[in-house]
Amino acid sequence: MTAVRVLLLLAGLWLGWYGLSLLLDLSTPDLLSVAVWFTGGILLHDAVFAPLCAAVGIAARRILPRAWWAAGACGAVCTVALVLIAAPVLRRGHAMPDNPTVLDRDYMAGFIVAVVIVWALVVLAEIIRRRIDKGTPR
Amino acid sequence: MNTRTSTGAGSSTARGPEIVARVGIALGAAVLVCFVTGLLSHWIQHPPHWFWWPANPAWLYRLTQGLHVISGVAAIPLLLVKLWAVYPRLFQRPLIGPPLRALERGSIALLVGATIFQLSTGLLNTAQYYPWKFFFPTTHYAMAYVVVGALAVHLAVKLPVIRKALSRPVDSDPDTPSASPADTSGHHRVSRRVVLVAAGLSATAATLAVAGQTVPFLRWAAVLAPRSGQGPQGVPVNRSAKAAGISEHARALDYRLTVIVGDQRRGFSRAELLALPQASARLPIACVEGWSASADWSGVRLRDLLAAVGAYRGGDVRFTSLERGGLYNSSLLPQRHAVDTNTLVALSLNGETLDLDHGYPCRLIAPNRPGVLQTKWLSAIEVLT
Repeated sequence: MTAVRVLLLLAGLWLGWYGLSLLLDLSTPDLLSVAVWFTGGILLHDAVFAPLCAAVGIAARRILPRAWWAAGACGAVCTVALVLIAAPVLRRGHAMPDNPTVLDRDYMAGFIVAVVIVWALVVLAEIIRRRIDKGTPR
Repeated sequence: MNTRTSTGAGSSTARGPEIVARVGIALGAAVLVCFVTGLLSHWIQHPPHWFWWPANPAWLYRLTQGLHVISGVAAIPLLLVKLWAVYPRLFQRPLIGPPLRALERGSIALLVGATIFQLSTGLLNTAQYYPWKFFFPTTHYAMAYVVVGALAVHLAVKLPVIRKALSRPVDSDPDTPSASPADTSGHHRVSRRVVLVAAGLSATAATLAVAGQTVPFLRWAAVLAPRSGQGPQGVPVNRSAKAAGISEHARALDYRLTVIVGDQRRGFSRAELLALPQASARLPIACVEGWSASADWSGVRLRDLLAAVGAYRGGDVRFTSLERGGLYNSSLLPQRHAVDTNTLVALSLNGETLDLDHGYPCRLIAPNRPGVLQTKWLSAIEVLT
């Protein structure tokens, strides 16, 4: 395992250095823009997104009955994933006037349908779980 | 790795190396698929001298680029769950500490920052949204090495922890060894198994929401895909005739396609191209941005067209567009693609005259190539020696 770790370390240092050297070839304004997006991503996650999720999680645990936690957690993670994937398209349907074949859906409608399906499945999963629990004597 | 004991208030015991290692493997696999498929696409467009990309099977590039974007999208929820599972470690004391610890934290910052950077800008790129200054392809390519490099360093550091975590059941709890998954009533948490299920389900949901832009039988579910697969003659467009500014030249009555083979040169009007023997091929057009569509193309076989001008003795072939500007106004077709029976100078698409947005009067369509290299609105074809 030591050999594998050493190889990984060396390969990693080499690849990482190569990537950084390619980045350093960029012009200063481009590099600044990269730096903004790089640090912005970390800050947005660590200082905004993660604390917000923690707060919502704590609140949900107080409000929701315990039986709903598991299914609810799955629904919540799926919803967050859909929100993020939708973010670049949601308000941008038909944003390219010269090219109607890109961003050519009603994204708001699709997003709402997807989230409704996710939470319908959450309710369904919970109902099924209760039926199964009733059927198995403890 | 004692996330449970050292994190203080607000921590949940659903977090733990058992989760981190398992979600991390899925995330690492997705990142690796992204890296390899991205590298392939880069090499096809900027081939190093040793690189060889086949003309067949025709669907291979479609597959690799579809995988690139699908695995990138799946990686987004996996990354969030992984970061959630290690989040309390961010606040571990000392914040920086001795050099080795500082180095490890630095490599993790690089890994997290670069991964968030790649996934967020990559996703925005598929939606053709560019709220930054840098040129996306160059930066995406460079940052990919940073991600994979930092990932390898991270693995080198964590390998013993990962092995240990994988050898334990997901819901095992070293603090209370007897606790079974069903016996979690004393813990204020969902089980770790639920966290894993949530990670899997959210990756599936995210994938389903976009995969249909390249997988035809999933089109119905792709509610968040930037492309529905529709367009003129049933095929989406990446660069429109209007954006390219070629409409006038493409429709000009004196349009000629110049073909140069050795010291022979000949101009073809569209009618003359149509008078040559026609061939057809069912080929996908696949974009770097992850969408693709299969279509029936017909026109003149490239090798027949070259033969009509002079003897093709091998060599790459340069295709030049009527478009003056633009990054992709010319492309170099390797010899093995040039001689393929399915490589056409296409004149029609799905049974109709090629739409202006698809490259009228004629365009290149060759198997197993990125869409940006299938030059539209051809003005010249030249055999390079």
